[in-house]
Amino acid sequence: MTGRSLIRVALVIFVVLMVQQTVMVALRIDGAHPDLLWLLPITAALLDGPETGAIIGFWAGLSFDLVLPTPFGLSALVGCLLGYVTGVLTTAVDPRAAWLKPVAALTGSVGADMLFAVLGAVLGQEQMVQINFLALALVVGISSVVLVLPVNRMMRWALAGESNRRSLVSAQADSRLW
Amino acid sequence: MARSRRSRRTLTVIVLVVLSLSLISLDLNGRTHSVTSGVKSVANDVYAPLRQGVLDVISPIGSFFAGAFNYGSVQAQNEQLQKTIGQLRASQAERGFEQKQLQALTKLENLPFLQSLPTVTAQTIDEFSSNFTATITLDKGRADGVDVGYPVVGAGGLVGTVIQSFHHTCVVQLVTDGQSKVGVTFGAGNKNTAIVDGQGPGSSMTADLVPPRTPVHKGEPMFTSGLQAAAYPPGIPVASVRSFHTASGASQESIEVDPKADLSSIAYVDVVQWVPPPP
Repeated sequence: MTGRSLIRVALVIFVVLMVQQTVMVALRIDGAHPDLLWLLPITAALLDGPETGAIIGFWAGLSFDLVLPTPFGLSALVGCLLGYVTGVLTTAVDPRAAWLKPVAALTGSVGADMLFAVLGAVLGQEQMVQINFLALALVVGISSVVLVLPVNRMMRWALAGESNRRSLVSAQADSRLW
Repeated sequence: MARSRRSRRTLTVIVLVVLSLSLISLDLNGRTHSVTSGVKSVANDVYAPLRQGVLDVISPIGSFFAGAFNYGSVQAQNEQLQKTIGQLRASQAERGFEQKQLQALTKLENLPFLQSLPTVTAQTIDEFSSNFTATITLDKGRADGVDVGYPVVGAGGLVGTVIQSFHHTCVVQLVTDGQSKVGVTFGAGNKNTAIVDGQGPGSSMTADLVPPRTPVHKGEPMFTSGLQAAAYPPGIPVASVRSFHTASGASQESIEVDPKADLSSIAYVDVVQWVPPPP
């Protein structure tokens, strides 16, 4: 990833973090609010493949971990896995398919929240599975479908200048800075 | 070529997963928790003013749109407010008397323990930042004398406990959080004890470890016990009984309780500078 892309990706993560923590947390329905974090690895994976999805998921998750009361590193772990799995599962899909982004946003976000809760409980935070999962799935799923397009646009801008889809991993690995 | 790319991709993900797991281990390990806590503290010192700046910018915009979309109701509200002002002016003298009564009631009923304990008044700046925890963030931190483990009270009772303290902010775990457990006493002479258990945001709290057929009545208040090694000073109102029953053959009474503090409106709270006495 080039230096310019790194700065742009960092900026996008920062903007999404701020929007999440100022606007989205206020939009609570039945105790659940939209979760923009997962859209970052999903859109990165759709635009540039599993490795970029995993890397951006890791750093985005780590940034969110800094301000969340949940275990440090948990969002990074889930974000990384989410980006990788999304990239791998959509490798054979035409990236121009209209259904791809909404479906990936819906299933990816809801799945990531479930994984996040279960891993948290496994790590001793039992309260993370004591929530209304139906409300969480509805709020996070619907909001992700609605918000995936603007986040995708930002991520496209951030990754602009990189090679085509799934080619972030260049032959000259030394030039990458992540 | 494709194979080499695939293996490098796999290696990258493995490295990131191992890195994440290492960070989680650092955070959950009591001896190394201070490392991640320190990193979070620095990050929060940078993040909190930035977030506040963003809020200061977007709040007027939000208010503008809210006003534009609800012009009719705003006008109606304005008329209603004018009417209310007139009524309030008329009852000003009476209100002074009522305020005195209210102060006396509050003093008697809820917060007598605060008279002897030092407190730091703080404002809530963030609520429920995660979908998975019941927490609030306050605008006071270590620099203001707020430390991890301090009880937080307000709005009629115990609000929670400080679980993270940064330079100028802190995170409070609410009594409704699934991880919260508070030792309480209740009943005549405060002879009965129980553990008030949070069940997660939006769910009723329960009072556990109460023997079957212990006399309880609806609305009965429960106070922090202050027993040896308790995490709270004695006498803070925690919850009141909402419902109770004993199933046949059960080893304890099932009691559902509501928090005494009104957790839907906790704009300001008091952080009690109290640490458990050494055993």
